[in-house]
Amino acid sequence: MSDAAHAHDDHSHGHPSGIMRWLTTTNHKDIGSMYLWFALIMLFSAGTMALLIRAELFQPGMQLTNPDFFNQLTTMHGLIMIFGAIMPAFSGFANWQVPLMIGAPDMAFPRMNNWAFWLLPVAALMLMASFLLPGGAVAGGWTMYPPLFIQGGISYDLTILAVHIMGLSSIMGSINIATTILNMRAPGLTLMKMPLFVWTWLITAYLLIATMPVLAGAVTMLLTDRNFGTHFFNAAGGGDPVMFQHIFWFFGHPEVYILILPAFGIVSQIIPTFARKPLFGYASMVYATASIAILSFTVWAHHMFAVGMPVAAQLFFMFSTMLIAVPTGVKIFNWVATMWKGSLTFETPMLFAIAFVCLFTIGGFSGLVLAIAPVDIQLQDTYYVVAHFHYVLVSGALFSIFAGIYYWLPKWTGHMYSETLGKWHFWLSVIGMNILFFPMHFLGLAGMPRRIPDYALQFTEFNQLATVGAFIFGFSQLIFLVLVLKTIKGGDKATDRVWEGAEGLEWTLPSPAPYHTFETAPVVR
Amino acid sequence: MFWSLAALCFAMAIGFAWSGYWLILPFAGFEIGLLAWAFRALRSREGDFESLVIEGDMVVLEWHCGNQGGRRELNRQWARVVCNCRTPGRNCRLSLCSHGHATEVGQYLNDEARLQLAATLRSRLQE
Repeated sequence: MSDAAHAHDDHSHGHPSGIMRWLTTTNHKDIGSMYLWFALIMLFSAGTMALLIRAELFQPGMQLTNPDFFNQLTTMHGLIMIFGAIMPAFSGFANWQVPLMIGAPDMAFPRMNNWAFWLLPVAALMLMASFLLPGGAVAGGWTMYPPLFIQGGISYDLTILAVHIMGLSSIMGSINIATTILNMRAPGLTLMKMPLFVWTWLITAYLLIATMPVLAGAVTMLLTDRNFGTHFFNAAGGGDPVMFQHIFWFFGHPEVYILILPAFGIVSQIIPTFARKPLFGYASMVYATASIAILSFTVWAHHMFAVGMPVAAQLFFMFSTMLIAVPTGVKIFNWVATMWKGSLTFETPMLFAIAFVCLFTIGGFSGLVLAIAPVDIQLQDTYYVVAHFHYVLVSGALFSIFAGIYYWLPKWTGHMYSETLGKWHFWLSVIGMNILFFPMHFLGLAGMPRRIPDYALQFTEFNQLATVGAFIFGFSQLIFLVLVLKTIKGGDKATDRVWEGAEGLEWTLPSPAPYHTFETAPVVR
Repeated sequence: MFWSLAALCFAMAIGFAWSGYWLILPFAGFEIGLLAWAFRALRSREGDFESLVIEGDMVVLEWHCGNQGGRRELNRQWARVVCNCRTPGRNCRLSLCSHGHATEVGQYLNDEARLQLAATLRSRLQE
């Protein structure tokens, strides 16, 4: 309350309509929806690139692309999937769910939230537009290693700018999420009572805030090397290109956990619901998540064993990497223990969650194989590595996103989705994904290098199998799109609680969740 | 959380700067500055409140917004409720006026609740 004569913010909460609603909205639900739609569009864009890559690799020789365009596709596929699809999707979940789960009326900084989102389409347009520039898009790999990244054309500068903008968006988003969680929890909701999804996002926000300056500094130094005559990474001027790898992976490995910790959180919400049991070992899950985050700062050089480093360093990074398997194992054990003797039902979110547990474990095990320095030196830059990180990021991160959408979609839209379509989507995705990525282990073990458009004849059969899997997996995502559109349009009315075993503040709200929620804070006992 | 993040960020940035890769340092400074502003802004607003009490012939308004706060007592017989909306039902401002001086109320409400408060206040002041 202040004197009317004093200037103050307009606290109007009127609902503008049309495009202005989406451009100016500060509502966490609107912004969450925009993040999720943006992520879906990016998923289809980068997915189309992946299908082009797989089509080219269906047989040896060059069929559809040329080597340079192939490299552009692989680079842009990686950049867009990571920064455009997976990260924004988790931000969408955070925007929708964190305030609902902690009993807050909105995010702590709603206007900053709007800015954080609207920076993303700008950055995505810049990335996509680089295909149209002379020399095409960036082709040096998503890791942006010099010297390739110092030597490329104008699209490299544009990509650096786009990465900066996406980084700024991430920083604003993560500061918003962290402050919301720390300051706006409902009375009685202590940290150790928070839903695990909220915990994993708090730790993810911490990682993002800690590592983003490293990425920003690294790409800025690339930019100054390219344009202002500095020699941070330019060997011709006394710089050290290997140091870029150290700096990049110092950001890049925590980034891997930024991509997977929210997935752990989503799965930790879903499994207890459909097992109709509380999560086994809640406190150990929190500590395991924090341990993974802390350890993620100590393992970066396992990405670069092949560049050469002292044996002591190899041993340190090998063992620290293996150590991450311990808290991750705690999580897997707890999810399985939660399901043990539970009253399980297998609705689509649970199916995706179970697939996550099984397939992410495969990705984890292949990660352990790669952690062994002498083995990694053999497998470095082979398809084994491609298989490993796709098991982590597709059957890990992406499947958890699908699981989360199926789980919360009735709460968001007020309608139940079609279980039949959901199950078609699940089975085709799981089968397609395994046909796509499992043979890549064998290709890698046999020595097929990654990021090449042509290959020796001996790799043909496994590549053909992978391509068939890619098209099954890719086109089955259209089922998901149809399902989401149908659910938004109509369907059986969802109850407030939606799932019999669901627990938490968000399920106390009506379905769909009203535009404004928890204007009076609930009390948690 | 803030101090641990600040310490971690600056330790990393200073470590890299020590090796010659100093451009991480300004980004770390900018980011930790933004984080500090965010925590400070929230802290300064956590005590915000509005209170409106009608007792006998007195209407007592109390508020705290950011670093500013205040209290005003109005005579119930002289107090008038003024509600101006830029468009019907939207972008409304609600004030209590007396002796040529207006005090805005209901800043933390949405338009719907503000209009409801206006109606309630009018009826209570006329009782």
